[in-house]
Amino acid sequence: MNVAVICLEGVKLRLGGEVLLDVARFELPRASCTILSGKNGSGKTTLLKIAAGLQPPDEASVQTDTGNFDWRGARPMLRRHSIYMHQHAYMFDLNVSDNVAYGLRKAGVPAAQRIERVRTALAWAGLADLEGRSARHLSGGERQRLALARARVLSPALLLLDEPTTNMDEEARQQSFFLIRRMVSEGTGIVIASHDRQMIGQLGDQHVHLADGALTTVDNASKPSRPRASGAAVQNAAEGP
Amino acid sequence: MAEILAASADALVLLFSWEPALWDIIGISFGVSLRAILVCAPVAIVVAFLLTIGRFPGRRALVSMFNSLMAVPAVVVGLTVYLLLSRSGPMGDLKLLFTQTAMIIGQMVLAFPLLVAMSHAALQGAEKSAWETAITLGANPWQAMLTVMREVRFGLIAAVIAGFARIIAEVGCSMMVGGNILGVTRNIPTAIALETSKGEFVQGIALGMVLLFLALFLNFVLSFMQGKGELT
Repeated sequence: MNVAVICLEGVKLRLGGEVLLDVARFELPRASCTILSGKNGSGKTTLLKIAAGLQPPDEASVQTDTGNFDWRGARPMLRRHSIYMHQHAYMFDLNVSDNVAYGLRKAGVPAAQRIERVRTALAWAGLADLEGRSARHLSGGERQRLALARARVLSPALLLLDEPTTNMDEEARQQSFFLIRRMVSEGTGIVIASHDRQMIGQLGDQHVHLADGALTTVDNASKPSRPRASGAAVQNAAEGP
Repeated sequence: MAEILAASADALVLLFSWEPALWDIIGISFGVSLRAILVCAPVAIVVAFLLTIGRFPGRRALVSMFNSLMAVPAVVVGLTVYLLLSRSGPMGDLKLLFTQTAMIIGQMVLAFPLLVAMSHAALQGAEKSAWETAITLGANPWQAMLTVMREVRFGLIAAVIAGFARIIAEVGCSMMVGGNILGVTRNIPTAIALETSKGEFVQGIALGMVLLFLALFLNFVLSFMQGKGELT
């Protein structure tokens, strides 16, 4: 991947006449974990989907180290470099290996290389024993790890996780945290939409808060601050881990 | 009752005596309906997919229209296609009336709304996250569409089988646009209608048995493909 940083600017979205998003700047740096908090319905999922190139905003531009682009023009690049993971990761009606291989097949990776990369990814996620099992029959924690392996095998610049530890027991949560930390250390930029205080404490290199459509930076152990009136900048997002 | 049983026994004998005229009718029936469904189903499923995923003005009206068109009687479709293909009609120059092509066109018109409506219902059952997951993992829209279709394949297969069942057994449209010409456009339903009107029940029963066997066979195929048919 050749982008060091992706930054969304001037993200505006109205739904039913109401302003859902009015974000001045949202930086998505590599090798760093950003926690995105906010109430239910505050637009966290929508913002992540806009960053993943899945949902069009009314207005937005995308800044990268190679230039400034309109969101629509940048959409193929956003899709190529980022992967969005749903709150309940969707598993195709395939076995575990074929779920991991899905993206590699679409990318035209030759069979021999694909098999090797799938095997490595499953071992990474501790799922090697389950490779032939239907992905629909896994536990919540196993599904989450499989979804992480399915994303990691494609070496994305950005991974956008939507409430990844909802309804998970402590052991499964810690396993997911461990894998997320490893991906950050491998250079992936991760954004996690979450209310989970433990996750914010353990994983977040930076913390941003979405309220009334605007993003604010949150200092550790303090309330959200609002450096600008509307759509505040994420000042410290570019700092490394 | 004894008469019906005797006729049924004679029908079985006739069926397995490999009488060429009878098997000719069966061959025409399957040839026409299979070609109609093969041309019609892929287009209808893609249309259903666009109706499911697309956000454009008139989408709901189109869905309602296809649902309504499912109920149009075969004879009305037959009449419409007849008027289009008749010598004085807008497509009269093609000289298709009373040919198998005319029957295929009629059957496609009959099956299309049913295929769209049932495929749309099946595709609505797919989760939006299936489409988004396919796209975010690098599939282009065409590949993502095929992935979503694969996820709801049993519903789509059921739609195709229902569409085939509708056209293989319909008599009104085939009779009007095909003309029931022996060896050319006489298929199972039109032959049954003709033989019954002549009081020749044996051939009618034999052909009716073929349709019944077909219905059973298709149901077995569907059940087999659907596996246990349980929620997972």
